[in-house]
Amino acid sequence: MTAQQLRWGAPLLTVLLLGTALASPAMAQAQALTVVVTDEPKSLDPCDTDLSNNSRVLRNNITETLVNLNPADGSVLPSLATEWSQVDELTWEFKLRDGVTFHDGTPFDAAAVAAALTRALSPDLGCELAASGLPEIIEGTEIVDPLTLRIKTSVVEPILPNKLSALDIGAISTPADSKTREPIGTGPYTLAAWNEGQSVVLAAYDGYWGDKPAIADVNIVWRAESAVRAAMVDTGEAQIAFEIAPQDATTGNDRFYSNAETSLLRIDQSIAPLDDVRVRKALNLAIDRDGLIGTIFHPEAQKAMQVVLPSVFGYNPDIPVWTYDPEQARALLEEARAEGVAVDTEIVLYGRIGIYPNSSESLEAIQAMLLDAGFNVRLEMLETNPWLARLLKPYAEDRQPSVLQSQIDNTEGDAVFTLPSRFTTDGNTSTIADPALDKLIADASKATGDERQKLFQEAFKVIAVDDINIIPLFHMVTSARISPTVAYEPDVQAGNELKLKSISFN
Amino acid sequence: MSAGYFLKRTVFALLALAGLMIAVFFLVRLTGDPVNLYLPVDASQGARDAMRVKLGLDQPVFFQFLDWGGQMLRLDFGTSLWHNRPAIQVVLEALPNTLALGAIALTIAFGGAVLFGSIAAVRAGSWVDRVINLVSQAAASVPDFWLGLMCILVFAVTLRILPTSGFGGPIYWVLPVACLLARPFGTLVQIVRGSMLEALNAAFVRTARAKGAQAGRVTFIHALRNAMLPAITVTGDLAAQFAGGGGVVEVVFGFPGIGKLLIDGILKRDFALVQASIFCVAIVIFIINIAVDMLYAAIDPRVRIEQ
Repeated sequence: MTAQQLRWGAPLLTVLLLGTALASPAMAQAQALTVVVTDEPKSLDPCDTDLSNNSRVLRNNITETLVNLNPADGSVLPSLATEWSQVDELTWEFKLRDGVTFHDGTPFDAAAVAAALTRALSPDLGCELAASGLPEIIEGTEIVDPLTLRIKTSVVEPILPNKLSALDIGAISTPADSKTREPIGTGPYTLAAWNEGQSVVLAAYDGYWGDKPAIADVNIVWRAESAVRAAMVDTGEAQIAFEIAPQDATTGNDRFYSNAETSLLRIDQSIAPLDDVRVRKALNLAIDRDGLIGTIFHPEAQKAMQVVLPSVFGYNPDIPVWTYDPEQARALLEEARAEGVAVDTEIVLYGRIGIYPNSSESLEAIQAMLLDAGFNVRLEMLETNPWLARLLKPYAEDRQPSVLQSQIDNTEGDAVFTLPSRFTTDGNTSTIADPALDKLIADASKATGDERQKLFQEAFKVIAVDDINIIPLFHMVTSARISPTVAYEPDVQAGNELKLKSISFN
Repeated sequence: MSAGYFLKRTVFALLALAGLMIAVFFLVRLTGDPVNLYLPVDASQGARDAMRVKLGLDQPVFFQFLDWGGQMLRLDFGTSLWHNRPAIQVVLEALPNTLALGAIALTIAFGGAVLFGSIAAVRAGSWVDRVINLVSQAAASVPDFWLGLMCILVFAVTLRILPTSGFGGPIYWVLPVACLLARPFGTLVQIVRGSMLEALNAAFVRTARAKGAQAGRVTFIHALRNAMLPAITVTGDLAAQFAGGGGVVEVVFGFPGIGKLLIDGILKRDFALVQASIFCVAIVIFIINIAVDMLYAAIDPRVRIEQ
């Protein structure tokens, strides 16, 4: 080797070595599992599992519930409770699993469940609990013995176990008067660290009562951009990335699955001209749903006629999907106009930015279809807070006629989790006031078995076919990018639950 | 800079800060009620009303203002609704990251702009000048969102030499810094080039050449010193913008800075967090303005005399 070669070679080699050393964190194979989601959890308090970014970290990882719901059919499966029965009309009894401890070593028992329930329902704490109507119906608890708890309700509640699938149980030491950032549960993982703004780290819990998870260490990180989340799996920085937008989900590692959401437009049918059923029918006929599939919505999205999936108890399979018939839509508008209905009144199409991928584009397309059919429609995209102000009562008295972009999910498996708040006169997001429908939903909520199913099916028919309160769009499909190095199949609950126990490296 | 001048600037800055914080207090409350964002959609009206009472939002705005004023006098910024921790703690965790990111990006942008802008001016009309012009104009025009995603695609996904995103050692700073410095670099190159052309044609430069000064000294001592002043002004403006966070870059790269925090705080109606963020950023901007003034005085004797 000549002196000249040495003179240039040594620095070059140094630079190359330095570059390799600096680059090595990016290239190293991860021993832990890294999952990338859209946003940081807001809270890791066991009672705040309504938000998916919270529940994905907590549910069945750090904390557990008395029961779980079968993703296939919504049936109730044992978890921390092994048996349950209705002792009388207003009392349910739960037998609790023996030999379970919290991560701090304290025993899981009836007192802990009672404390967790009381805490979650406390109005002062402001828990974000995804349990429809639970605070209004729980009267109290009775500790029969350390492994037997009775829960009393104020009304007949035939599916209380289903509703308790939303209650994560934290240790009795969890502060009763403030939210905790250090959850202590019974799950297969403990919270090792919450690096604010960067990551949540979970570590396997040696004292777990069930099967040990295959993966001991998990990092959960977040990136707002779908393309970045997807790229992280490609580079090996993550093994699983959720919520990949349709335009980014173009590789063989992208798995598509139903996320239990149904997209729709809610019609404010108390304001003219939307109070005329012909106008509401015309709105539905004017939309080319087939044209939206595979272009703006996912190719595997299913046209919907009601706001729950077929797997939900109470779903009505006999409601036909709307056809696309702009001619009939125009004819209905003409007919209504001839009778003095002010069909030319401007209707506002309210959208929510980012409610689902291509949310703005979908409404731009729908607006164009409605304009083509003869409607006078103005589009207004809103961020979440002003959208919520229009979703929730009380509504402004002097409001314009409008339809509101929305999305409803039901992973609880029963129509009672969807119908009362959205389609009854007193429902806080309802724009329908039909006493007959109110009675139908109330009776269905108290019934059981075939009677319950029949009544709920009838309710869905009234909403979609008789009253036409909604413009249903699609049962939605989302995608996750999964590295070939891991074995994981997302299911319909994957939007709210990251089932780390089911994941392993190949 | 004299102590009296510094004191005068500080007093005016404090008055401006007070005015700013009062304006922010009322402006954020015009964005609407945050309660709906912090409770499930199914929450009862009773639960919403209870939360409003707990947060003091049921009080008339004037009483809320008095409460807030009292807290501010104690430098108590309240609790972040979203993070459920003291707002100032959340902000002070994020602010150093943003300041470091901005400082590194601007330093490299400024240094690079001085070098390439000077070369372009000295070689005005040549192919070197044209290439520098083209690159700088492209850099000044490119959207940082697009640039960020392209950098990730090229350097992380394709070449595998840099991570896509995240926060950690030096390797994680390369792409965010590169994306953040592009537009300032492009802008500053144009400014330095223009100022240098003007300076190189000025009478004092002709005098220096006539006196036999070497070309390098003429360019980089006499001309550049005068040409840098506009660039310093613009850099000071850019630094003030960066103090508020390169929000887009932080979002794309998952960089835990104050830009993303502020955007999220506004979207989530986290009044305490927004107020604490703006307070801290305003303090930083004041310090930057003082530093720019001092730099001016160091470079230009005329400013020292005026002060």
